[in-house]
Amino acid sequence: MDHEAAQLEKQHVHDVYESTAPYFSDLQSKAWPRVRQFLQEQKPGSLIADIGCGTGKYLKVNSQVHTLGCDYCEPLVEIARERGCEVMVCDNLNLPFRDQGFDAIISIGVIHHFSTKQRRIRAIKEMARVLVPGGQLMIYVWAMEQKNRHFEKQDVLIPWNRALCSRFFSESSHSGRKRRCGHPERSHPYHPPCSECSCAVCFKEHCDSKRSHSVDYEPVTARTCFTNIPKESEGEYGFYNTLGKSFRSWFFFRSLDEPTLRKQIERVRPLRNTDVWADHTITIQPSRHSSLDFELQQPFSKKEQNSDEEVFVETSSRKHLEWLRAPGTVKRLNGDHLGEIGKNGGGNFLDSTNTNDNGVDASNLEGESPSASSRILRRISAVDSTDSNPDDTISVEEQQADILDSRAFMRYYHVFREGELYSLLKENVSELHILSSGNDHGNWCIIAEKKENCD
Amino acid sequence: MKLLTHNLLSSHVRGVGPRGFPLRLEATEVRINPVEFNPQFVARMIPKVEWAALLEAADTLHLIEVPKEPIQGYEHDEDFLRKMHHILLEVDVLEGTLQCPESGRLFPISRGIPNMLLSDEETES
Repeated sequence: MDHEAAQLEKQHVHDVYESTAPYFSDLQSKAWPRVRQFLQEQKPGSLIADIGCGTGKYLKVNSQVHTLGCDYCEPLVEIARERGCEVMVCDNLNLPFRDQGFDAIISIGVIHHFSTKQRRIRAIKEMARVLVPGGQLMIYVWAMEQKNRHFEKQDVLIPWNRALCSRFFSESSHSGRKRRCGHPERSHPYHPPCSECSCAVCFKEHCDSKRSHSVDYEPVTARTCFTNIPKESEGEYGFYNTLGKSFRSWFFFRSLDEPTLRKQIERVRPLRNTDVWADHTITIQPSRHSSLDFELQQPFSKKEQNSDEEVFVETSSRKHLEWLRAPGTVKRLNGDHLGEIGKNGGGNFLDSTNTNDNGVDASNLEGESPSASSRILRRISAVDSTDSNPDDTISVEEQQADILDSRAFMRYYHVFREGELYSLLKENVSELHILSSGNDHGNWCIIAEKKENCD
Repeated sequence: MKLLTHNLLSSHVRGVGPRGFPLRLEATEVRINPVEFNPQFVARMIPKVEWAALLEAADTLHLIEVPKEPIQGYEHDEDFLRKMHHILLEVDVLEGTLQCPESGRLFPISRGIPNMLLSDEETES
């Protein structure tokens, strides 16, 4: 299973970053303020590691500390190096550091690229290993629960095609964002995943053979998704209308967590034997109506819609649990995700955030009609990416538009449910003590501390 | 790659564990990269340095005037701190290799960037 996981990550994380790295150097996306703050709070003379540093946007935030940037992707690291940063190429799962060397570590938008729970745990444990006792680790991962978007599943492939989007992005997206959230400066990006190909299928192998396939991308569906968007987002949708048949979309991916994957593989093994992922693990949820959870107001994200303030909340673990259990929160989450929860075998939403999660997708698979699971449909929705990855802010020369193919660059993400990251650490990484957790602009974040006397 | 970075690196080849430290440095291209001197910063780094590993690396690079150990009252000794500043932060290995002392595995340094990736076969699964 680990081998398949590694293969998936190679194709839909590493290779994509490598291929798209040349486009990152133009613009640097801004650092998340809360992350900057964490770095600035570190004692002068601290040794800090940014694991998954990309082009190095956090490496020079604090001149009083020494920050080492590490990334799996060499082209990205080279860009950071050109900016004068101290960087290296390495693997989060096998950090080439001696134990307890670092006073602090940041992992911003990285863990969500690991395709199994075990690998995510391993990545976190590796970071804990190289932390000094008392040292702090900050982790940011993309949240499943977003303001204007609804991820129906946690394992997704996000296509990337800056060719089409970048031009529009630089022209209109900023104004759209200004209006909605009053953040003129912050360049959080859209994911530019719009496909020029109106046939939608996710992988090349399929696309060629199924070009005339019945794909539910019809405008009606798209409009349905848009109708519920608050008016102030008008600017954004002008953008999408302009793109015409290009929709923001993404593809759902079957969870690679072991029990689920085994079942899937058993089901489809007799079928084609080309790329494992393309064949059977990609399904795209047919678009559903009003699945936009803009009504979902978690205590923290509500604030973020209206102001520029950080919504990262410092809380003791006890308080955090209370936050999770707040009746209002649970009720709404259950309500909005009812379709999924039902399929997932019922149970409390919060319960599904721990190990039961793995079983969840399996039952999902069973529940769907055979035709649905083997057909590939495109999910249309309004996407507002708050991805903290650097690529989103890059603008590109139009000549390069032709070169990029949306189907080729799809990045894998395991988006995290509320409470999932917290539980992941609490249950599996006993060497870390959680100091605080919360939501910051569509990311679940955690700060944890390495316990004394545990190695 | 600075020597401060080298001081943190350890081989993660399967089965090697703590015997993977320190990595043996070979350099074919080194440059001196001026960095602003910040005495408090350097003073705070000193306790974190694995001294033997630093001496070994400095020796390979034929650096001179390398203090053999932190001296008493180093926090206020500007001469000492300047030397350490130079060795830890200004010496930059552009091209070379890092070798696992236990397995012999070589990791390249190119354009100042060490590449510590192992192949699939080499990593523990």
